[in-house]
Amino acid sequence: MTNHWIDLKNSDCILIMGSNAAENHPISFKYVTQAMQNGAKLISVDPRFTRTSARADFYTALRSGTDIAFLGGMINYILKNNLYNKEYTAAYTNAPFIVGKSYGFKDGLFSGYTKGKPEAGPSLGGYDKSQWAFEMDENKVPMMDRSLENERCVFQLLKKHYSRYTPDMVSKITGTSEADLINVYKTFAETGAKGKAGTIMYAMGWTQHTVGTQIIRTMAIVQLLLGNMGIAGGGVNALRGESNVQGSTDHCLLWHIWPGYLKTPSASKDSLSVYNASATPKSYDSLSANWWQNYPKYSVSLLKSFFGEQATQANDFGYNWLPKVDDGKAYSWFDLFDKMFDEKIKGFFAWGQNPACSGSNAGKIRKALEKLEWMVNVNLFDNETGSFWQGPGVDPTKVKTEVFMLPASVSVEKEGSITNSGRWMQWRYQGPKPMGDSRPDGDIILELGHKIKELYHKDGVLAEPILNLKWDYDTNGAYDPHKVAKEINGYFLKDITIKDKLYKKGTLVPSFAFLQADGSTSSGNWLYCNSYTEKGNMSARRSDKDAVNNIGLYPEFAWCWPVNRRIIYNRASVDPKGQPWDKDQWVIKFEGEQKDGKWVSNKWTGDVPDGGWYPLENPDGSKREDSKYPFIMRKHGHGQIFGPGRADGPFPEHYEPLECPVEKNFLNPQRVNPTAVVYSSSEDSHATCDPRFPFVGTTYRVSEHWQTGLMTRPQPWLMELQPQMFVEMSEELAKLKGIKNGERVKVTSARASVECTAVVTKRFKPFNIGGNLVHQVGVPWHFGWRWPSTGAEESANLLTPPAGDPNTRIPETKAFMVNVIKL
Amino acid sequence: MNLNRREFIQVSGATAAGLAVSTLGFDLKPVKSHAQMLKTKYAKETTTICCYCAVGCGAIVHTSKRGDGRVINIEGDPDHVINRGALCSKGASIKQLTENENRLTRPMYRAPYSTKWEEVSWDWALEKIAERVKKTRDDGFEKTNSKGQVVNRTTSIASVGSAAMDNEECWIYQALLRSLGLVYIEHQARI
Amino acid sequence: MAKAFFIDTTLCTACRGCQVACKQWHDLPAEITTNRGTFQNPADLTFSTYKLVRMTEEVIDKKLTWLFFPDQCRHCIEAPCLETAENSDAIYRDEDTGAILYTIKTKELDAESIISSCPYNIPRKAEDGTISKCDMCNDRVHNGLKPACVATCPTGTMNFGEREEMLALGEKRLAEVKEKFPNASLLDTDEVNVIYLVTHDSRLYHEYAMAPQSRKSGISRKVALRKMMKPFASLMRV
Repeated sequence: MTNHWIDLKNSDCILIMGSNAAENHPISFKYVTQAMQNGAKLISVDPRFTRTSARADFYTALRSGTDIAFLGGMINYILKNNLYNKEYTAAYTNAPFIVGKSYGFKDGLFSGYTKGKPEAGPSLGGYDKSQWAFEMDENKVPMMDRSLENERCVFQLLKKHYSRYTPDMVSKITGTSEADLINVYKTFAETGAKGKAGTIMYAMGWTQHTVGTQIIRTMAIVQLLLGNMGIAGGGVNALRGESNVQGSTDHCLLWHIWPGYLKTPSASKDSLSVYNASATPKSYDSLSANWWQNYPKYSVSLLKSFFGEQATQANDFGYNWLPKVDDGKAYSWFDLFDKMFDEKIKGFFAWGQNPACSGSNAGKIRKALEKLEWMVNVNLFDNETGSFWQGPGVDPTKVKTEVFMLPASVSVEKEGSITNSGRWMQWRYQGPKPMGDSRPDGDIILELGHKIKELYHKDGVLAEPILNLKWDYDTNGAYDPHKVAKEINGYFLKDITIKDKLYKKGTLVPSFAFLQADGSTSSGNWLYCNSYTEKGNMSARRSDKDAVNNIGLYPEFAWCWPVNRRIIYNRASVDPKGQPWDKDQWVIKFEGEQKDGKWVSNKWTGDVPDGGWYPLENPDGSKREDSKYPFIMRKHGHGQIFGPGRADGPFPEHYEPLECPVEKNFLNPQRVNPTAVVYSSSEDSHATCDPRFPFVGTTYRVSEHWQTGLMTRPQPWLMELQPQMFVEMSEELAKLKGIKNGERVKVTSARASVECTAVVTKRFKPFNIGGNLVHQVGVPWHFGWRWPSTGAEESANLLTPPAGDPNTRIPETKAFMVNVIKL
Repeated sequence: MNLNRREFIQVSGATAAGLAVSTLGFDLKPVKSHAQMLKTKYAKETTTICCYCAVGCGAIVHTSKRGDGRVINIEGDPDHVINRGALCSKGASIKQLTENENRLTRPMYRAPYSTKWEEVSWDWALEKIAERVKKTRDDGFEKTNSKGQVVNRTTSIASVGSAAMDNEECWIYQALLRSLGLVYIEHQARI
Repeated sequence: MAKAFFIDTTLCTACRGCQVACKQWHDLPAEITTNRGTFQNPADLTFSTYKLVRMTEEVIDKKLTWLFFPDQCRHCIEAPCLETAENSDAIYRDEDTGAILYTIKTKELDAESIISSCPYNIPRKAEDGTISKCDMCNDRVHNGLKPACVATCPTGTMNFGEREEMLALGEKRLAEVKEKFPNASLLDTDEVNVIYLVTHDSRLYHEYAMAPQSRKSGISRKVALRKMMKPFASLMRV
């Protein structure tokens, strides 16, 4: 989330689309309700009417997988009716940037496309992104036309691109009536007025598509055009689904990034200097903060946390001890299980995760597990992954895989921190001791590390990284979360004087502005530098005193990254003179002194500003040289309406899901995202416009269960509320198929079939798609054979397809084709 | 007295008459008594953050100071600025997640082709796992790739998880995996 | 002064935190249920389920509406169950809070007559004849805490406090929602200490959301008779 949960109350219009917040983030409705009681409008857009829709001022449906069409229509509406915030768009976004002549868009393809070769991998194709580059002036600064009139500026290209997204066209694709589309567009676009704030709450309903990243970009463009980024009650808010999925992402339990969103090095980066040079963007614009120019400080400090004193200038701080990936190759979830299925992976840790139910096309995952030599499964409960060898249709006597199942402690039995969706790091304390022989994950990891190190003390291939790994995180023989939290924050490793102040060796670094690239500081994650300082554990703070702007920031309650900034990009919440667009619900405000029309002293108040530089302009309107543009993480300092870094194009374009109910894309000749990833092993299959699978299927969650259900299915109180796998369908479809409410049916896809209880409801309605009636059904993905012990309830992910987004490789579990059969 | 609400929970419990009660919906006492004692009166009180979605709601955990030292009650923390005491159906059930007879409480092992789990000791399990890791890693270790570039990695071992772990646990876990040379490192954020 | 609940159904999201928080505080076992083609579960209140969010899908004025109704004992000002029981060791009122409380001695009562006396169809009996229902978390209330269902509610649907305060809140919210829902109303405010705000005909939410007129005026002949006698009864007590 660019903003945070409490901030929702400051909104004037809340769009909930791609999420079902009332059910999956129920406490968010504390603030949605407060906003509504202050006059905010709530809009719910979802293929089915949900508990969120039940509370909305306005609800409308769209067919799963058509969100870009829906939102592209909103961009068109905003531009056609001049409802964008011109001052903001021209000053803070890349709308004025001039795009190079090689950029083009024709027949659904951007310039630079090459079709993929199946033998080269799962990508349907790829782009030469250099063709989308901006035009640079003689100083290598992007050329701009702040009047937005140049025909090759981003703004004009945007206008042209989305002029095709007319209400009539969008309605044909999404199945939403034109009147409903206009109603949503009009209501949300009203937040483009100064002093008004519109926000978006989205979740997996947007990410889990072959066009997932671009759906989110479409909304980000809307928010930039309306001036909704950086302000209170605005932003682009991803509602993350697990208690610490934000923290685990920040610490990068992901193949492509290192802690703090640093890049995993690829093989061609054969030294630290080559790596740092390639990862550090260079801007020639003195007004661009280009924050990532600090990259080497963060990467070297991380290496110092990995290897401690063993990391030295002479050995490149241990850079080459760490693994490199091959250039251009992906090692994502899909690829991992593809390789496992192909018997290339022999050992496997499923640590606090249940892939046998959570991964798309889970049947392939279950088969892949049979091909392992050994597996370690750490969890609170026995589960479908750890017990895959005794799952449905599996003969244990034919499964060679050795399985170690280790009992972990519940969160209330241990101490440590987690980071919520609003980036708040919060400390938890131990209540009861671990039950039975269960152990906190930290103790298991630490002890396993000690045991592995012991073995490598004797011998082993490339033992240095293992032996040199700093591993002193115990106190009195037990894992000590405070020691790790301090390492993540980072230490001064020698006495350093910065700005006339001496920082002693061994003390904690106050914030990432103090980190160094010469090995004199450590920091396990630069983003968390400032979380545990000499002032103490910031995440354990409990003050309910609000900040001076009184908008619910609570700056002394817990801690949030970066540097306790509660609303990021907040320099965009003020005009170029530093004064808030919204005088009542302001985030930051410049309060420096002025003399003769110029600022002469520097003072910001409110939230921690996104950099404390002077405003862009003086009170008399003259430009300042010592300021910075507000989007400090972007190389050129501007919000990206044009996104030349994305795999599938600089502007989002509507493509159909891999499995869809239409023969053609009404907007362009490319039916499916031409860069989507589609897997094709013997256990991967898909079927488009196949009469055997005539209905659109989607997956989702309910309030009463969580993810694969492993932490909710063993609980009788929750099973009482939602006891069985079900499929929701319209009364029309039920009639068509002769299905009665509450009876058991079978849902089938090209991958598998799953037994469900039919929930026949008015909350699903068939869609009119280009003149054809299209039915949609939905299944929750919370179930699995292990619990309840009847074994009769199975995972919806047995049905979901082997395809994903080209940027993230997140699977397309939100739109696929199924049939529903009476048992 | 100027007390916040959580302190109030503690002191108000102390002023109630010390009568044995049940919290069942009917009163087991033969004599009516209105001033009941809270079941949480003698409990240790700690704060936690809900383990389900990422709203980050605060909760209070009441753990028995006597007997088995287990959880008596978990409810929303009224002084937490996000949820102000509120919890949804999942959050309200954390006690049953913790005090659950279905939990794993011993390390278990399933041998190749076996049809059953066996209970094993932590030492045995971790030693065996360390041996497996070393053997698989060393057997398939790639110092260079097909282009001859230094890669120092193993693609024979993979890991998934976990967004359910604490920040500090995530950090040392990724550090251990990366020191071993793993590149197949993924978790919930990918799906 | 009696305590009261104000339940604002216009804010309810049916997250059912209240349903579980009630079981959590009271250590009540779960019911074994099945999916019956609806999210509502259990199907009805039970001996171990004092709180149930009822869920109904209705098309009203061509608009789909999903009505949520967190059902529970109304802690009636003149409670027919209490009057029917005529046994204050089994059913009694806590004069400090207004809670109508059932003891284990309800086993000695005629459960069917108690249950049928309730205009809101709330009490439920166990196999051994003991009767149960919401106890207002009387232990919590006496210790300065809100009932578990109120403490856990995120949206402001569940409110609890002095009766006057809750009535005022109810009237305020009624006036606010009337603009959008002209048929909104507060249910049985004069008779109960659990005041519901609904936006549509109460019968759409639940058959027993509101007391039927017939039951309000004469729950049973016995109770009606006793009601007539009441002034004398209280005189006699003095």
